[in-house]
Amino acid sequence: MRTLVRTKRVNHAHLLLFFALFSMAVYGQDSIKDDGIKDDGLRPVPILTGSTAYFTRVTGGQVQDVPSVSPLLLAPFGDKWLIEAKGNLSDTYAKNVHGDYIGTVGYGLGYAQIDYIANRFVTVAAGRFITPFGMYGERLGPNWVRALQVSPLTNPIISGSSLGGMLRGGFPAGTDKVNLNYAFYFSTANTNHLLATDRSTGGRIGFFLPGPRLEIGASFQQLLQADRSHSVGVHAEWQPNSLPLTLRSEFAHSSGLKGSGYWIESVYRLSQVPYMHRLEVTSRVQQFLANPKLTKGAAGKLGALGRDTNQGDFGLNYYLRSDVRASASYGRQFALNKNANIWVIGMTYRFVMPLGLKGGAL
Amino acid sequence: MKTAIGLFLSLLLCLFCLVLAAAAKTGDAKDKGKDASTPAVSHSAEYDAMRLEGEKRYHSNCGRCHAAPPKFAPRMMATIVRHMRVRSTITDQDMHLILRYMTQ
Repeated sequence: MRTLVRTKRVNHAHLLLFFALFSMAVYGQDSIKDDGIKDDGLRPVPILTGSTAYFTRVTGGQVQDVPSVSPLLLAPFGDKWLIEAKGNLSDTYAKNVHGDYIGTVGYGLGYAQIDYIANRFVTVAAGRFITPFGMYGERLGPNWVRALQVSPLTNPIISGSSLGGMLRGGFPAGTDKVNLNYAFYFSTANTNHLLATDRSTGGRIGFFLPGPRLEIGASFQQLLQADRSHSVGVHAEWQPNSLPLTLRSEFAHSSGLKGSGYWIESVYRLSQVPYMHRLEVTSRVQQFLANPKLTKGAAGKLGALGRDTNQGDFGLNYYLRSDVRASASYGRQFALNKNANIWVIGMTYRFVMPLGLKGGAL
Repeated sequence: MKTAIGLFLSLLLCLFCLVLAAAAKTGDAKDKGKDASTPAVSHSAEYDAMRLEGEKRYHSNCGRCHAAPPKFAPRMMATIVRHMRVRSTITDQDMHLILRYMTQ
């Protein structure tokens, strides 16, 4: 027992030392040179942005109509601070066992964090934030951004949200040809049913090559509660310069009960085809492998994470305007005794409005 | 429980150190940045080059995740770019170049 306590104290000391050295190193690096780009002299204004959506989903013959709104408040102050808070509200209409068409309201807080841009290398964030693991959760989650409305099967492997502190940033890695980006965090446990988070720590590191427009990265998460499992992941994204094509992929593996999986997604904008330049063709293939050691009972409790699943999706996105998009997709899911067709059709609208000042003047 | 509190306090202390270091740096940089407080709008070759570079950075960074948005009012754009800098961990240089491109 004494050894265990001592080990933990040593770990804390290491953590403290790491952050202190990291801070000093970053401070030192920031003093080396100026990049020659002057401040633009613009005073940012608070804005309300986000998206609204209406989607009809048919999963294995079960129809759901889901109107939703996801407002995002951005409140900057000073030169370096930003408060960002995103909520979501949806109403899912479906037929119940009696054949009545009823709605179920769902709401939640995606994130509510305060950011301090300390310098060119580090941004400090605190509050509730999206767990930095892979690229889907942080970057591709909003429904006006995602290429396919159906989420990847690997998403539930990781706790989606965290509550605590995070260091993150991106900077050229010694050359303009490679940008390094990173995010490291610590999260406390929260048992509130709307704001639940796990006690965990982890991070993500990525390298972006602006020339070939290629990013590769890796993520790690250590759960500090329950089964104390860890998860690892890798991600990659490539946009060839010669084609309006995006290829993305993620892999995630959990040492606990949640299994592992991967997905590969392609998005092709028909920008070179007359009359069809607003159309995007998307597809995704994915495979999820449940933990083979799961008992029948445990597999039942885990739901979708408890069975091997293969899935393929194909979709179309049409941009009526830059902020209004119509989407439709078809997917086929193969799972033991649970094969299903997944149809999705609907629209998204992204809105942006200033709060108070118009934001036009300097 | 004590371990958790200890770890949390350690983290807080670390964050405090970091903020302190950054604040000191900001103080040093204030004098240097005095001439930067006014918008530099001059149509020079250098300006055009930076604008073109901004467009390039815009496509390589923003276009990775979403379709091209329209240009908003400059002060709104400043907020959006700050948000995206944090969310997408784009570099400081890219942020300034993209903001310049999106507001000119």
